Amino acid sequence: MSKSRSMFRYAAIGLTSALALGAGAGAAHAEVKFGALYPFSGQLALLGEESARGLELAVDQINSEGGVQGEQVTLVKGDAVDNNQAIGEARRLIAREGVKAIFGTYSSSRSIAASQVAELSRIPYFELGAVAEKVTGRDLAYLYRTNPTAKDMARTIVDMIVESVAPELDKDPEELRIGIIHEDSSYGSSVAEFENKYAEEAGLNVVAEQAYPASTVDMSSIVLRLKEKNVDVVLQTSYQNDSVLFLRQADEENYDPKAIIGGGGGYSMEPTAEAVGADVIEGVLDADFTQYNVNPEFAPGVKEFVEDYKAKYDSAPRSGHSLNNYAGAMALLHAIDDADGFGPDEIREAVDAIDIPMGETAAGYGVKFGENNQNTRAKMMGMQWQDGELVTVFPEEAAVSELKLQD
Amino acid sequence: METVLQITANGLMLGGLYAMISVGLTLIFGITRVINFAHGEFLMVGMYIVYLITTQLGVHPYASLLLVVPALFVMGALTQKLVIERLRNSDEHVQIFATVGLSIALINLALLIFGADIANTPSSGLRHSVGVGTVGVLTGQLVIFFSSIVLVVGLHLLLTRTRPGRAIRATAQNRAAARLMGINVSRVYVLTFGLGAACVGVAATLVAPLYPASPTIGTYFVLIAFVVVVMGGLGSITGAFIAALVIGLVDAFAGYYLGSDLKEVAVFGIFLLVLIFRPSGLFGARRNLSHVSP
Repeated sequence: MSKSRSMFRYAAIGLTSALALGAGAGAAHAEVKFGALYPFSGQLALLGEESARGLELAVDQINSEGGVQGEQVTLVKGDAVDNNQAIGEARRLIAREGVKAIFGTYSSSRSIAASQVAELSRIPYFELGAVAEKVTGRDLAYLYRTNPTAKDMARTIVDMIVESVAPELDKDPEELRIGIIHEDSSYGSSVAEFENKYAEEAGLNVVAEQAYPASTVDMSSIVLRLKEKNVDVVLQTSYQNDSVLFLRQADEENYDPKAIIGGGGGYSMEPTAEAVGADVIEGVLDADFTQYNVNPEFAPGVKEFVEDYKAKYDSAPRSGHSLNNYAGAMALLHAIDDADGFGPDEIREAVDAIDIPMGETAAGYGVKFGENNQNTRAKMMGMQWQDGELVTVFPEEAAVSELKLQD
Repeated sequence: METVLQITANGLMLGGLYAMISVGLTLIFGITRVINFAHGEFLMVGMYIVYLITTQLGVHPYASLLLVVPALFVMGALTQKLVIERLRNSDEHVQIFATVGLSIALINLALLIFGADIANTPSSGLRHSVGVGTVGVLTGQLVIFFSSIVLVVGLHLLLTRTRPGRAIRATAQNRAAARLMGINVSRVYVLTFGLGAACVGVAATLVAPLYPASPTIGTYFVLIAFVVVVMGGLGSITGAFIAALVIGLVDAFAGYYLGSDLKEVAVFGIFLLVLIFRPSGLFGARRNLSHVSP
């Protein structure tokens, strides 16, 4: 009696363990889900989608290399049309889809909103493209950012003036009269604030500063003021409309500063060059995310990235956003591959251990997370419009062409 | 001194631009009493049509006037016929929200079709600088300035010297009496809305070579257009023209002396003062209370 009962017990154990094994084997073939939270529709859709493509290409590559921890990665998209929807989609990805981490987001405000939801659920949130300072530094343990920020943009601009622009003009950096103009939302204001700070530290002479609303339809008074103050180097942080307006009106009022340096935004975009004309944009400088005209030795993998991009999407990349998302995602996915599981703390531990030196990602910059989980090696690049193309000219090791200014 | 002259020139050119855009709005408001919040989006649609015509057919931007003006007329007339007229007996707020809805729909339609990028109409030499001494303005700006005068005078003649014009004014003065005199009031409204939108068509054609079109371009202009219309005296076309020049000059001088971030303080400060001391605007007539009659 007791014997047959114990027999029955052994059989039951055998059966359950077989089931457990089967389930385990099934899990090994199963996929791990990550969220891709970007604005896929609405105002920001163009660059939101462009950013997401970088992540998709990174996932494709990881999957072809065997996945992470032996599992294929599936991306679940969430559409962050506005802040509220970013929150709703983050909740859906976490609760309904069961993603192990979220990647995103391009827009800083969406990122700030959605990452709070992820933090509460202890799901790692990887920001690959939002530039506002405020994204990090909110005491979030599971938020990491790989891309450079507004601060890095100002840093690159000031370094470029001191190390390249002034020598090219045969002047001491202190001699140059600098004017800062910027649109007055948080993007322009925060870049301008850091420009001022670093310029002061570098001993530069800032003689004019002017904010303006991005929806302005006339910048002639700004041009007149810069002209009156004999500004040699104009730093503008702007969207597209105001970049076009300033470049055009400066040209038409015969204002010819020795250098104009844009802070991303409108200055990095082809339509701006088309609108103002190749002769007007020629020589204009710009600091932004790494673009494609960059030294491939400094950004290994950038050529392959462009090829893969063309093969998958049947067009050339529309901006550097995809490249930067790709580089950040590759570093993170490789780290997660080395983790001991997909638990939030295992992922954190693996990501904290990332140590990629400069010049070893497709975007050029290295990856090492420091204070507030911000990538301390993230750098913006200095670029110049030469013969209708935006080419990297700064720093020297990333440059494909020399910085040239007429005087 | 040179600087002051240049600022004055810039201010007048800006004023002409604001006048050009505001004339249609004040016409529609003065007659139909509908505040058209989709006005800026009419401008945006017009600018995209100019962009398409010039880039596809390779013609001079001004040639697209022949198509843009009728297209905008139809668009305005249809807005009145299909949207506003159906709401004629509803509350004014409902009509306002209908035009706000139209505005949002048009912006997002443009986003869907053209994307968020700018669409640049070739400037065809209109960004060429002309001037006396060191004071310079663009040819395109001069054209806008003088066209706005022609448009104002033309509309004035139309409203005072022609039969449809008289019918429009009669309807504006007293809807019920006009109907008793045998005027087809709803047709007058459709005509007026179309006419106002056609004025925006003219503005779009002249503005497009100077400013790249984008889905939100209308919102850049429309706030100032409302200021101009209210300041000039709701419905007064001459008033709107004068107010536009005042705003343009204030904008230019404040932009230089106070800074671009503070110029709107000056513009809206003056606007407030006008409203406090002349609540009906610079040229607003107090008699015009026809909208209270049924």
